Amino acid sequence: MTGQRYLEDVSIGDDMPPMVKNASRAQLFLFSAATNNPHRIHYDRDYAAVEGHPDVLVHGPLQGAWLSQFVVDWAGPKGRLLGMGWQNRARAFPERDLTFKGKVTAIEGDEVSLDVWEEDDSGALLMPCTARVRLPRRA
Amino acid sequence: MIGQPLSEPVTGTITARDARRFALAAGDLNPLYFDEAAARDAGYRTTLVPPVFLAWSLTPPRPLEDVRVDGLYRGEGKRVTLNVKRVMFGGEEWEFLEPVFAGDTITSVTRLKSLEEKAGGSGPFVLQMTETTYTNQDGAVVARAVGRSIAR
Repeated sequence: MTGQRYLEDVSIGDDMPPMVKNASRAQLFLFSAATNNPHRIHYDRDYAAVEGHPDVLVHGPLQGAWLSQFVVDWAGPKGRLLGMGWQNRARAFPERDLTFKGKVTAIEGDEVSLDVWEEDDSGALLMPCTARVRLPRRA
Repeated sequence: MIGQPLSEPVTGTITARDARRFALAAGDLNPLYFDEAAARDAGYRTTLVPPVFLAWSLTPPRPLEDVRVDGLYRGEGKRVTLNVKRVMFGGEEWEFLEPVFAGDTITSVTRLKSLEEKAGGSGPFVLQMTETTYTNQDGAVVARAVGRSIAR
Protein backbone atom coordinates (compact mmCIF):
# COMPACT_ATOMS: atom_id res chain seq x y z
CA MET A 1 0.00 0.00 0.00
CA THR A 2 1.51 3.30 -1.06
CA GLY A 3 0.46 6.84 -0.08
CA GLN A 4 -2.05 8.97 -1.94
CA ARG A 5 -1.54 9.58 -5.65
CA TYR A 6 -2.90 12.86 -7.03
CA LEU A 7 -4.06 13.71 -10.51
CA GLU A 8 -1.44 16.46 -10.81
CA ASP A 9 1.35 13.90 -10.35
CA VAL A 10 0.29 11.62 -13.20
CA SER A 11 1.25 11.87 -16.89
CA ILE A 12 0.40 9.79 -19.93
CA GLY A 13 3.09 7.16 -20.42
CA ASP A 14 3.96 6.89 -16.71
CA ASP A 15 4.90 3.37 -15.65
CA MET A 16 3.25 1.91 -12.57
CA PRO A 17 5.76 0.44 -10.08
CA PRO A 18 5.56 -3.35 -10.60
CA MET A 19 4.02 -5.70 -8.03
CA VAL A 20 5.21 -9.32 -7.68
CA LYS A 21 3.04 -12.17 -6.40
CA ASN A 22 4.04 -15.77 -5.84
CA ALA A 23 1.22 -18.08 -4.79
CA SER A 24 1.90 -20.98 -2.46
CA ARG A 25 -0.29 -24.06 -2.76
CA ALA A 26 -1.74 -23.13 0.63
CA GLN A 27 -2.77 -19.75 -0.76
CA LEU A 28 -4.53 -21.43 -3.66
CA PHE A 29 -6.39 -23.63 -1.18
CA LEU A 30 -7.36 -20.62 0.94
CA PHE A 31 -8.58 -18.72 -2.12
CA SER A 32 -10.68 -21.72 -3.17
CA ALA A 33 -12.14 -21.74 0.35
CA ALA A 34 -12.78 -17.98 0.46
CA THR A 35 -14.64 -18.17 -2.86
CA ASN A 36 -16.35 -21.53 -2.21
CA ASN A 37 -14.72 -22.91 -5.38
CA PRO A 38 -14.30 -26.70 -5.37
CA HIS A 39 -12.75 -26.89 -8.88
CA ARG A 40 -10.13 -29.65 -8.60
CA ILE A 41 -7.59 -28.07 -10.97
CA HIS A 42 -6.65 -25.69 -8.15
CA TYR A 43 -5.69 -28.29 -5.51
CA ASP A 44 -5.49 -31.76 -7.07
CA ARG A 45 -2.37 -32.10 -9.21
CA ASP A 46 -3.29 -35.59 -10.44
CA TYR A 47 -6.68 -34.35 -11.55
CA ALA A 48 -5.15 -31.22 -13.14
CA ALA A 49 -3.07 -33.62 -15.31
CA VAL A 50 -6.31 -35.25 -16.51
CA GLU A 51 -7.33 -31.82 -17.85
CA GLY A 52 -3.93 -31.46 -19.50
CA HIS A 53 -2.21 -29.21 -16.97
CA PRO A 54 1.33 -29.98 -15.71
CA ASP A 55 0.48 -28.67 -12.24
CA VAL A 56 -2.39 -27.10 -10.35
CA LEU A 57 -3.39 -23.67 -11.69
CA VAL A 58 -3.69 -20.30 -10.04
CA HIS A 59 -7.36 -19.27 -10.18
CA GLY A 60 -8.29 -16.73 -12.84
CA PRO A 61 -10.29 -14.80 -10.24
CA LEU A 62 -7.27 -14.69 -7.90
CA GLN A 63 -5.26 -13.09 -10.69
CA GLY A 64 -8.22 -10.75 -11.23
CA ALA A 65 -8.12 -9.87 -7.51
CA TRP A 66 -4.38 -9.15 -7.86
CA LEU A 67 -4.96 -6.93 -10.89
CA SER A 68 -7.54 -4.93 -8.95
CA GLN A 69 -5.23 -4.78 -5.91
CA PHE A 70 -2.42 -3.48 -8.13
CA VAL A 71 -4.63 -0.70 -9.51
CA VAL A 72 -6.37 0.17 -6.22
CA ASP A 73 -3.01 0.39 -4.41
CA TRP A 74 -1.60 2.59 -7.17
CA ALA A 75 -4.59 4.94 -6.94
CA GLY A 76 -4.25 5.27 -3.16
CA PRO A 77 -6.99 5.37 -0.49
CA LYS A 78 -8.78 8.42 -1.96
CA GLY A 79 -8.64 7.11 -5.51
CA ARG A 80 -11.60 5.15 -6.88
CA LEU A 81 -11.54 2.16 -9.18
CA LEU A 82 -14.27 2.84 -11.76
CA GLY A 83 -13.89 -0.14 -14.02
CA MET A 84 -11.59 -2.84 -15.21
CA GLY A 85 -11.54 -5.72 -17.64
CA TRP A 86 -9.13 -8.57 -18.09
CA GLN A 87 -8.66 -11.59 -20.28
CA ASN A 88 -7.20 -14.95 -19.45
CA ARG A 89 -4.49 -15.62 -22.07
CA ALA A 90 -2.29 -18.29 -20.48
CA ARG A 91 -2.08 -20.47 -17.38
CA ALA A 92 -0.48 -19.29 -14.16
CA PHE A 93 1.20 -21.74 -11.80
CA PRO A 94 1.94 -21.62 -8.06
CA GLU A 95 5.45 -21.08 -6.68
CA ARG A 96 6.39 -18.92 -9.65
CA ASP A 97 6.85 -15.16 -9.64
CA LEU A 98 3.95 -13.38 -11.31
CA THR A 99 4.65 -9.73 -12.06
CA PHE A 100 2.05 -7.01 -12.51
CA LYS A 101 2.99 -4.01 -14.62
CA GLY A 102 1.13 -1.10 -16.09
CA LYS A 103 1.18 2.34 -17.59
CA VAL A 104 -0.99 5.42 -17.87
CA THR A 105 -2.65 5.57 -21.29
CA ALA A 106 -5.10 8.49 -21.00
CA ILE A 107 -6.20 11.23 -18.64
CA GLU A 108 -9.63 12.83 -19.05
CA GLY A 109 -10.84 15.21 -16.34
CA ASP A 110 -10.08 13.37 -13.12
CA GLU A 111 -10.27 9.93 -14.77
CA VAL A 112 -7.08 8.05 -15.57
CA SER A 113 -6.97 5.06 -17.93
CA LEU A 114 -4.38 2.36 -17.39
CA ASP A 115 -3.07 -0.56 -19.38
CA VAL A 116 -2.13 -3.27 -16.92
CA TRP A 117 -0.83 -6.78 -17.44
CA GLU A 118 0.42 -9.85 -15.64
CA GLU A 119 3.52 -11.72 -16.77
CA ASP A 120 5.03 -14.97 -15.55
CA ASP A 121 8.73 -15.56 -14.81
CA SER A 122 9.40 -16.37 -18.48
CA GLY A 123 7.97 -12.99 -19.51
CA ALA A 124 4.86 -14.60 -21.03
CA LEU A 125 1.74 -12.42 -20.98
CA LEU A 126 -0.89 -14.09 -18.79
CA MET A 127 -3.57 -11.46 -18.36
CA PRO A 128 -3.89 -8.18 -20.21
CA CYS A 129 -6.16 -5.69 -18.45
CA THR A 130 -7.48 -2.17 -18.83
CA ALA A 131 -8.62 -0.10 -15.87
CA ARG A 132 -10.12 3.30 -15.16
CA VAL A 133 -9.60 5.14 -11.88
CA ARG A 134 -10.63 8.52 -10.51
CA LEU A 135 -7.85 10.37 -8.70
CA PRO A 136 -8.22 13.25 -6.25
CA ARG A 137 -6.67 16.66 -6.96
CA ARG A 138 -4.27 18.30 -4.53
CA ALA A 139 -6.27 20.67 -2.36
CA MET B 1 -32.70 -17.57 -23.73
CA ILE B 2 -30.28 -14.73 -24.47
CA GLY B 3 -31.09 -11.86 -22.10
CA GLN B 4 -32.98 -14.12 -19.71
CA PRO B 5 -32.01 -14.34 -16.03
CA LEU B 6 -30.05 -17.57 -15.51
CA SER B 7 -31.45 -18.06 -12.02
CA GLU B 8 -33.52 -16.33 -9.36
CA PRO B 9 -31.92 -13.17 -7.94
CA VAL B 10 -29.54 -13.94 -5.08
CA THR B 11 -29.52 -11.67 -2.04
CA GLY B 12 -27.01 -11.73 0.77
CA THR B 13 -25.31 -9.55 3.34
CA ILE B 14 -21.56 -9.21 2.88
CA THR B 15 -19.94 -9.32 6.29
CA ALA B 16 -16.63 -7.64 7.10
CA ARG B 17 -15.43 -11.10 8.08
CA ASP B 18 -16.12 -12.61 4.64
CA ALA B 19 -14.64 -9.59 2.86
CA ARG B 20 -11.48 -9.80 4.98
CA ARG B 21 -11.17 -13.56 4.50
CA PHE B 22 -11.19 -12.95 0.74
CA ALA B 23 -8.70 -10.06 0.95
CA LEU B 24 -6.35 -12.10 3.12
CA ALA B 25 -6.56 -15.12 0.80
CA ALA B 26 -5.56 -12.80 -2.05
CA GLY B 27 -2.76 -11.29 0.05
CA ASP B 28 -4.39 -7.85 -0.15
CA LEU B 29 -3.88 -5.94 3.11
CA ASN B 30 -5.45 -2.64 2.01
CA PRO B 31 -6.40 -0.79 5.24
CA LEU B 32 -9.70 0.30 3.59
CA TYR B 33 -10.87 -3.31 4.05
CA PHE B 34 -9.55 -3.77 7.61
CA ASP B 35 -9.36 -0.47 9.45
CA GLU B 36 -12.44 1.65 10.23
CA ALA B 37 -10.35 4.75 10.89
CA ALA B 38 -8.48 4.41 7.58
CA ALA B 39 -11.79 4.00 5.75
CA ARG B 40 -13.23 7.12 7.43
CA ASP B 41 -10.05 9.09 6.65
CA ALA B 42 -10.58 8.25 2.99
CA GLY B 43 -14.16 9.60 3.19
CA TYR B 44 -16.08 6.32 3.63
CA ARG B 45 -18.55 5.57 6.42
CA THR B 46 -17.05 2.17 7.20
CA THR B 47 -14.71 -0.48 5.74
CA LEU B 48 -15.07 -1.43 2.10
CA VAL B 49 -15.44 -4.79 0.40
CA PRO B 50 -12.67 -5.64 -2.12
CA PRO B 51 -14.33 -4.78 -5.45
CA VAL B 52 -14.02 -8.15 -7.16
CA PHE B 53 -15.18 -10.04 -4.06
CA LEU B 54 -18.71 -9.12 -5.14
CA ALA B 55 -18.56 -12.00 -7.60
CA TRP B 56 -18.03 -14.52 -4.80
CA SER B 57 -19.76 -12.90 -1.86
CA LEU B 58 -23.23 -14.30 -2.49
CA THR B 59 -22.48 -17.90 -3.49
CA PRO B 60 -25.08 -20.05 -1.75
CA PRO B 61 -23.95 -23.14 0.19
CA ARG B 62 -24.37 -26.28 -1.94
CA PRO B 63 -24.56 -29.96 -1.01
CA LEU B 64 -21.71 -32.36 -1.85
CA GLU B 65 -24.02 -34.20 -4.25
CA ASP B 66 -23.87 -31.12 -6.48
CA VAL B 67 -20.11 -31.42 -6.99
CA ARG B 68 -19.15 -32.94 -10.33
CA VAL B 69 -16.09 -35.10 -10.97
CA ASP B 70 -14.08 -32.02 -11.97
CA GLY B 71 -15.04 -30.35 -8.69
CA LEU B 72 -17.30 -27.73 -10.28
CA TYR B 73 -20.86 -27.47 -9.03
CA ARG B 74 -23.58 -28.83 -11.24
CA GLY B 75 -25.69 -26.19 -12.95
CA GLU B 76 -28.88 -25.14 -11.27
CA GLY B 77 -32.09 -23.49 -12.39
CA LYS B 78 -32.00 -22.30 -15.98
CA ARG B 79 -28.20 -22.10 -16.05
CA VAL B 80 -26.86 -23.30 -19.38
CA THR B 81 -25.61 -26.87 -19.14
CA LEU B 82 -22.91 -27.60 -21.66
CA ASN B 83 -21.86 -31.15 -22.32
CA VAL B 84 -18.13 -30.43 -22.33
CA LYS B 85 -14.94 -31.73 -20.80
CA ARG B 86 -13.78 -28.56 -19.20
CA VAL B 87 -14.64 -24.98 -18.48
CA MET B 88 -12.02 -22.26 -18.20
CA PHE B 89 -12.44 -18.82 -16.79
CA GLY B 90 -11.96 -16.49 -19.78
CA GLY B 91 -11.98 -13.04 -18.24
CA GLU B 92 -14.20 -10.34 -16.85
CA GLU B 93 -15.26 -6.76 -17.49
CA TRP B 94 -16.31 -4.78 -14.42
CA GLU B 95 -17.94 -1.40 -13.89
CA PHE B 96 -17.79 -0.19 -10.29
CA LEU B 97 -20.51 2.43 -9.84
CA GLU B 98 -20.76 2.81 -6.06
CA PRO B 99 -18.57 1.69 -3.17
CA VAL B 100 -19.63 -1.53 -1.44
CA PHE B 101 -19.39 -1.48 2.35
CA ALA B 102 -19.02 -4.29 4.82
CA GLY B 103 -22.56 -5.03 6.01
CA ASP B 104 -24.25 -4.10 2.73
CA THR B 105 -27.02 -6.38 1.50
CA ILE B 106 -26.48 -7.02 -2.19
CA THR B 107 -28.80 -8.58 -4.75
CA SER B 108 -27.31 -10.03 -7.89
CA VAL B 109 -29.03 -11.03 -11.10
CA THR B 110 -27.12 -12.86 -13.82
CA ARG B 111 -28.35 -12.89 -17.39
CA LEU B 112 -27.06 -14.81 -20.37
CA LYS B 113 -25.54 -12.25 -22.71
CA SER B 114 -24.33 -14.50 -25.51
CA LEU B 115 -23.37 -18.04 -26.38
CA GLU B 116 -21.19 -18.58 -29.45
CA GLU B 117 -19.32 -21.47 -30.96
CA LYS B 118 -15.83 -20.44 -32.03
CA ALA B 119 -12.93 -22.03 -33.86
CA GLY B 120 -9.77 -21.87 -31.75
CA GLY B 121 -6.12 -22.76 -32.25
CA SER B 122 -6.57 -25.94 -30.20
CA GLY B 123 -10.02 -26.86 -31.52
CA PRO B 124 -13.55 -25.51 -31.33
CA PHE B 125 -14.86 -23.97 -28.13
CA VAL B 126 -17.98 -22.31 -26.81
CA LEU B 127 -17.70 -18.75 -25.53
CA GLN B 128 -20.37 -17.97 -22.97
CA MET B 129 -20.90 -14.39 -21.81
CA THR B 130 -23.00 -13.52 -18.80
CA GLU B 131 -23.87 -10.14 -17.33
CA THR B 132 -24.39 -9.77 -13.60
CA THR B 133 -25.89 -6.68 -11.98
CA TYR B 134 -25.29 -6.01 -8.29
CA THR B 135 -27.74 -3.77 -6.41
CA ASN B 136 -27.46 -2.66 -2.77
CA GLN B 137 -30.10 -2.34 -0.02
CA ASP B 138 -30.86 1.24 -1.12
CA GLY B 139 -31.64 0.16 -4.68
CA ALA B 140 -28.41 1.58 -6.13
CA VAL B 141 -26.66 -0.48 -8.78
CA VAL B 142 -23.16 -0.80 -7.31
CA ALA B 143 -21.52 -2.83 -10.05
CA ARG B 144 -21.97 -4.66 -13.30
CA ALA B 145 -19.81 -7.55 -14.45
CA VAL B 146 -19.60 -9.27 -17.80
CA GLY B 147 -17.97 -12.68 -17.49
CA ARG B 148 -16.52 -14.81 -20.27
CA SER B 149 -16.07 -18.52 -19.86
CA ILE B 150 -14.66 -20.94 -22.37
CA ALA B 151 -15.91 -24.51 -22.61
CA ARG B 152 -14.41 -27.21 -24.79
